[in-house]
Amino acid sequence: MTDPDTNTHEVVIIGAGVAGLSAALHLAERGLKPLILEAEPDFVGGRVAGGEEVEVDGWRFRQEHGIHGIWSPYKNLQAMLARHGIRPRFVPAMEEEWIYRKHGRIKKAAVGTAIRYSPLAAPLHYLNLFVRPRFLRMLSLRDWLSLPLVWGGLMWGVGVDPLAENQPLGELRLSDLVKHWAPAVRAFFVGLARNGFSATPEDVPLSGFIGFLRFYTLMRRDSWAFSYMPMDGGTSLAEPLAEKAAQFGTAIKIGARVTRVAKTTRGWLIDYTQAGSETTSISTRQLIFATDSPNTEKIISNSPDLPTSQDLFWPQGLETAVVRIWYDTIPKKLGEGGIFTGEFTIHNFFWLHIIQDQYRRWHRETGGSAIEVHIYGPPATLQEPDAVLISRATADVQAAFPELRGHRIHQSIQRNPPTHTMFAVGSPEQHLGIETPWEGIFCCGDWVRDTSPAYFLERACITGIFAANQVLESRQIQTWPTLAYPAPERFVGWIEQRMIRGRRKRVK
Amino acid sequence: MPGARSNYLRNLVKLARGDSLLDPLIVTYYVTTNCNLNCIYCEDFGSRLNDPSQIPTFEEVREVLKVIRTGSDHLLLTGGEPLTHPQIDYILPYAKEELGFKQITMLSNGLLLPQHQAVLPHLDRLVISIDSIEAEVWHRLIGTTVKYAQKILDNVVHYAAEQKKYGLQIVVNCVLTPQNLDSAWDVLEFCRAHNLLVGFSPQALHNWPAYELLVSAEFKTLVEKLISAKKAGAPVLGSLAYLETLSDFSTYKCYPTTAPRVMPDGELIYPCRPVEKEKDSFGGSINLKTVQSWDQAISSLEEQFGAPPISCTSCYQQCYIEPSLMQAQPLDYLTELVKFSPSRKGSLATHTPG
Repeated sequence: MTDPDTNTHEVVIIGAGVAGLSAALHLAERGLKPLILEAEPDFVGGRVAGGEEVEVDGWRFRQEHGIHGIWSPYKNLQAMLARHGIRPRFVPAMEEEWIYRKHGRIKKAAVGTAIRYSPLAAPLHYLNLFVRPRFLRMLSLRDWLSLPLVWGGLMWGVGVDPLAENQPLGELRLSDLVKHWAPAVRAFFVGLARNGFSATPEDVPLSGFIGFLRFYTLMRRDSWAFSYMPMDGGTSLAEPLAEKAAQFGTAIKIGARVTRVAKTTRGWLIDYTQAGSETTSISTRQLIFATDSPNTEKIISNSPDLPTSQDLFWPQGLETAVVRIWYDTIPKKLGEGGIFTGEFTIHNFFWLHIIQDQYRRWHRETGGSAIEVHIYGPPATLQEPDAVLISRATADVQAAFPELRGHRIHQSIQRNPPTHTMFAVGSPEQHLGIETPWEGIFCCGDWVRDTSPAYFLERACITGIFAANQVLESRQIQTWPTLAYPAPERFVGWIEQRMIRGRRKRVK
Repeated sequence: MPGARSNYLRNLVKLARGDSLLDPLIVTYYVTTNCNLNCIYCEDFGSRLNDPSQIPTFEEVREVLKVIRTGSDHLLLTGGEPLTHPQIDYILPYAKEELGFKQITMLSNGLLLPQHQAVLPHLDRLVISIDSIEAEVWHRLIGTTVKYAQKILDNVVHYAAEQKKYGLQIVVNCVLTPQNLDSAWDVLEFCRAHNLLVGFSPQALHNWPAYELLVSAEFKTLVEKLISAKKAGAPVLGSLAYLETLSDFSTYKCYPTTAPRVMPDGELIYPCRPVEKEKDSFGGSINLKTVQSWDQAISSLEEQFGAPPISCTSCYQQCYIEPSLMQAQPLDYLTELVKFSPSRKGSLATHTPG
């Protein structure tokens, strides 16, 4: 063990994902010299890290976790990247498809533009779906009859803001909201939840789902506008961000897995291990946890000096699998991404030869196409061997796009560790926020409690900035302002206010 | 020959059909990248970025303009500083009289106007940047001396009085930066006093509004004040839809080919400058000197790079916002033209920081 007194750092950040890098950059820009400890031995970026390359016919493609979208409400993330000249030129999403299979019959409908370009203000914008004949063909009589229930559910979401109100909504799950909905509309919302939460409706916490719906679509039409990163997340985002943080004086130690945090008279002692070496200890006055929920839980439970008066609440981290398939031909015209619902193993898809630069070049040279599909559970499915998952994914893709049968030229699979956050709002006493019960320790990440409406990458970024601000404030250094999120559209905002007022009256 | 009006109507039909490759409402031609100032907000061709400057010959300019004319009858000449082009006094009459451009706008810093009065009768609009009416403040933003900054202000006052004589409308473009938020209102009052139109646009950095503006409550308050002033009859150019988009930096549908840009050597940028700059597979250029017509150039680009994107969140460049809004929201545009006289006098599509 090294002598901690000779190895002291101003601020230590555990985790070099978007949250940790955002926190580090904002601290370093204000003249501090943070140290980031990243457990991953090869790449920074966490869930947006780039990975190893696979080779297909002499072309090299980088593997990645599978996060592609930069949504229009990701204001602080985009402003941070633009401020440093590292904001990539994004690839705008043109259309998203909903592919639904029931009793073996597959139906497809373009839904993305119907929502974001709806002529009707939120929350009526969804009605624009009903002028799309393909969408109408998805619906059965039962679906039509259950529309009032769907509308009621959406209005309920308008009237409750689980994040701003710190409202865990008890034990309610998405299944409680959609249980009487008819199959197709249920499948649509459950499909959205699968993509956001990687879980079944019985597992998805309603507080998390309502917050998700509000942030991405319910309160504004243009919230659903988004773009893709033009390359893998590591190349487009994480690596330039890490480089910028380093330029400002951040030290990043990769392959350093933190095992324990202990209290000292002057702050905190952090133990970490690196491959092939014994435990190293460093000390710091201030510490930021920027790890995902399961890893933060692991470190805290292994640190007897971090007691709490109550058991802590940890949003679940879930495993996922990403399958990529290369074809020597292209599918018929369609949107570049979308969701699969109903009788499929896969849950969404992205045509990489449309959205990513390297794949586009390959497509131009060869005329081929490449699809990425995600499998968000259930756990039993994810336990299947690689070959089985690839085969199921291929069967699903080719069922939806039969013109690709007999044209597959390559495939790959990537298993992601259980880090995909199933966000939920916990009680303020149990769910860790930016400030923690422990002096000098702060948290950031997409699982952290905060009243900000943001999700995923944007939540990681803004909580990273907030954590940096806590450190700066304690040192009486100027903090960073953040961008406000666009207000709800007028009509839905009016409904929201009326409903909140009504709820308050009833409570009185 | 296609004109802006017919292109506008044809674009409405294209949009109804779901086609995002729209015809140009106005074509911007960077007649030179040479510039005599060094404005801090200039992302394209500030003199500090010009190495070496591109100054095409008159013959080359003629060749390029001929092809542009087959695509639109509205031309925006910019740079650099277009008045530094040695043949600018001949280029404008050629464009107006021989090629028959119906509306020509020139974006200039105004410093060289006295030496080039010959161009004025051929212009419909002259856009001059004034970011503060205090030369002591402004000179730092544009990288020149107080004396030159004052000279520009004097020139604007002088030619404002002669707008009728030359049959042109002068539009002041005020780039809002964190440094001039306090004095922007004075620019509006200055324009009101001298019968000028004024447009406001936020400083962009890396194709995105400057961070200090994004987080500034003063910026939002100023834009809201400008909206109220416009509604009350102030000569504020830029549609209400545009100003509202600025106030909360909301998302907009972008149709970049409504306001295409052509570089001095004739390279037509596709689908837009921010995408083309990346030099990847999503955008590129074609030299207009290698084609016979605008349509031929666009077809070739579409074949190579695909249709342009909409709902683009890649940049926030004002020169693309206004024409895109005009095209995507025809009812708002119509209301704008009926209700606000500045919008009738100064084409909204020319409201560009260049």
